[in-house]
Amino acid sequence: MSELLDLAHQAVQQALSLGADEAAVTVSAGSHATLTRRDGKVEQATEATTRGLSLSLFVDERSSVHSTSDLRPEALKVFMERAIQATRLLEPDPERRQPERERCGRGASEAELAQNDPDWERVTPEQRAARALALEQAVTAIQDDRVISSSTSYADGSSLDARVLSNGFADEHESSGFSMGAELTLDEGNGKRPEASAWYGARFYRDLPDPDEVAQEVIERAQERIGAAPHKSGRYPMILANRAAGRILGLLGAPLSGSSLYERRSCLDGKLGERIGSEHLTLLDDPTVPRGLGSRPFDGDALIATPRTIIEGGVLKSYYLGVYYARKLEMAPTTGGRSNWVVPAGERSWQDHARELGGEAILVNGFLGGNANPITGDFSFGIRGVLLEDGQPVRSVAEMNVSGNLLQIFHKLVARGDDPWPWSANLVPTLIFDDVDFSGT
Amino acid sequence: MNASPYTWFEPFGVTPALIREVLAAATQYGADDADLYFEHTTATSVSLSDRKVNRAYTSVDLGCGVRVVVGDQVGYAYTEDLSRDSLLRAARTAAQIARGGKITAPVDASPARLPDHYPVDRAWHDVDVADRVPLLRAWESRAFDADPRIERVQVYLGDADKHVLIVRADGRMVADYRPMTRAGLSCVALDDGQREGGSYNLAARDGLTYYTAERQERLVDEAVRSAIRALSASPPPAGELPVVMAAGSSGILLHEAIGHGMEADFNRKNISIYADKLGKRIAPTQVSICDDGTLPHARGSLNTDDEGEDVENTVLVEDGVLKSYLHDRISARHYGVNPTGSGRRESFRHPVLPRMRSTYMRSGPHDPQEIIQSVQRGIYCESFSNGQVHIGAGDFAFYVREGYLIEDGKLTRPVKDVNLIGNGPAVLETIEMVGNDMKIDEGGWTCGKDGQSVPVSQGMPTIKVGKLSVGGRS
Repeated sequence: MSELLDLAHQAVQQALSLGADEAAVTVSAGSHATLTRRDGKVEQATEATTRGLSLSLFVDERSSVHSTSDLRPEALKVFMERAIQATRLLEPDPERRQPERERCGRGASEAELAQNDPDWERVTPEQRAARALALEQAVTAIQDDRVISSSTSYADGSSLDARVLSNGFADEHESSGFSMGAELTLDEGNGKRPEASAWYGARFYRDLPDPDEVAQEVIERAQERIGAAPHKSGRYPMILANRAAGRILGLLGAPLSGSSLYERRSCLDGKLGERIGSEHLTLLDDPTVPRGLGSRPFDGDALIATPRTIIEGGVLKSYYLGVYYARKLEMAPTTGGRSNWVVPAGERSWQDHARELGGEAILVNGFLGGNANPITGDFSFGIRGVLLEDGQPVRSVAEMNVSGNLLQIFHKLVARGDDPWPWSANLVPTLIFDDVDFSGT
Repeated sequence: MNASPYTWFEPFGVTPALIREVLAAATQYGADDADLYFEHTTATSVSLSDRKVNRAYTSVDLGCGVRVVVGDQVGYAYTEDLSRDSLLRAARTAAQIARGGKITAPVDASPARLPDHYPVDRAWHDVDVADRVPLLRAWESRAFDADPRIERVQVYLGDADKHVLIVRADGRMVADYRPMTRAGLSCVALDDGQREGGSYNLAARDGLTYYTAERQERLVDEAVRSAIRALSASPPPAGELPVVMAAGSSGILLHEAIGHGMEADFNRKNISIYADKLGKRIAPTQVSICDDGTLPHARGSLNTDDEGEDVENTVLVEDGVLKSYLHDRISARHYGVNPTGSGRRESFRHPVLPRMRSTYMRSGPHDPQEIIQSVQRGIYCESFSNGQVHIGAGDFAFYVREGYLIEDGKLTRPVKDVNLIGNGPAVLETIEMVGNDMKIDEGGWTCGKDGQSVPVSQGMPTIKVGKLSVGGRS
């Protein structure tokens, strides 16, 4: 048993002995380092080893959650006493108790999940410095007189979480993470300094792209921003780039959640089994993706993490129901929070589809501000992107908004590209929508 | 209150001798600047849902950040363990990257006196959970009593006591106790099968006495009013329209359109659209904009910034002319000016950045009614949820939760859920009228930058902007 798991067991026992009926404890420890370079120098280097404990309590049918970074034994005891005392002052809410033991456990082994790169422990400060330097050199090798500033960043880290529930569940999970990115600002010549960035994250160092690829990507993105201006308001096809698709797709998260459903804050209430999008919309929640950035063995309630179909061919199949809201809604729990969101890739490129749609279309590859109302489904987001004509880029667009309603937008999904974005927990290809509301001039 | 905030960290073993030893380790290879930032924060939040005060969350955050600066290079390390070994390890790590500079040994620190912009008679730590429960109950009842269409009510009350001790290698030493409270009510209204939501929140660096009868009533009544009004609201038309921004939370426009662009790190790196505009006219003469860290009890106020500098009211724009950036010590050294007390960090886990505090526009000559009457067809924006800016291109956006259509100089149908977008310098140039009704908003605004969140305030008189792109429906 690891030292952390041991500490979690002790904390659960201590909470029970101080009067809690049930307790769940997570003890986390991690360490991370970040190196940012600009102008040929390290601009900022941050390093830390961290730790923390979080605790959920159930006392006399009342419940509460607590966290602390002060793990001195005498401080921990006072912390727990205060936590239990505070819990007793609440009103009873008997549904807020632990899941049945048989629902708790591990969906995939640590080996299957492949979340921990053995390279991480072997990284030396010199290697870290060399990786950051190589990235900066690739970016500063870019030939474009308009570049007025560039900065690059390399980071890595690792964390270990140990979780113990008083219902008998005890397990731990280890993961590493590596990331690198670049930011570039160009001088457009009229006072505007369009900026672009490209960031990549992976569980394994060798999965990160080559520094030259990062440099190429960031300069292309920055050059694409030159001369950006709004296009006229109207309805156009929207080509939603893979790396940006998570923002619109993610709007489904709030109304799919048990808390929104129970609090009458969901436009998807009563829609289980109904069509909420076109046949092209299929969404899976898969916590078992090897090396996935959203993968996990168990969820926040310690429920066994298994793949689920959320939407299949446009039909809503599952809500996000943690233990508490599942009890409140008298439904079976699924999971309280998302893991990796997977939208299957289509068979052809988005460029093919855009050409086929013909006419003007707007490629959206970034957002600015915006929000959504989960109760009604109304949304409105600022965008940046490229105006297309018969699938060919015409010019950069900015200062435009895309607006609509969540219950309508996915019915307008007409095709999926063949290019799932691998650098986030949204494994989503470019999505092609028809007839979307854009406002500009 | 604790008589001397300087003694707060003594029970954690933080003695003058230890501080000296850690600073000596931090400056062992030389430095232009070095500081230790000790933080102890205890926070509590209690919430009501489903007609029960059924959830509490408490947290304790304890740690120290060590920063070593040489030129514009920063070495940063932190630890949650205040033992001698851990602090020295953090200091050695931070010292590694930034070598050189004129400081080679720390000057003995002596405590500095600070103003108190947010005195409280009782710290939140001494307020029992039992004292919070009846407040939540009363707010819930008032909401249900206000209108029979209210179907669901959720309420929270969150508060924190943050103690910081900042000690610099140049001998500066400051300690601050920073209270914070935030309350929010959100409700769902149901009418004839149609549902809508409304919410309101209040925040301040204050204690329990902040919740006066007027504030408690406003918290509930504004949330209910907002939900009921949203039932009859619809998205506005799409396209470029004149916009009138209501007094108060419309300060979000300043925060995004100019505030971030004035943070001196962006200008030092030449990546802000305002980088070469100092001393130049950027707005009509009726426009003056401040960023003030000294407003009594404001969420964005500070007695000292997070690198030990005195906090001031910085005039960013005076009579339309750009006057000053917001500086931390790094950018102030770069520009050869005094810091503006704008160096802030989310916690001991984060290095300092120049940030806003309370950003507002001074009142102008116009009556608010006269401003609305001057618009043929446009949008009146009243409440907001969030905003964002692209610092170099200057494009910014904010999301309007509620407002009205203006037709022939009158507010007509309510509108909701719309993003507005424009370009900062272009929009500032087209501020056509400034009202005489400046108001600092009491909302719990939080500003994000480089992954760090800090509490801020904002304020505005009623203003008229020539045009913004309104994300409505065509």
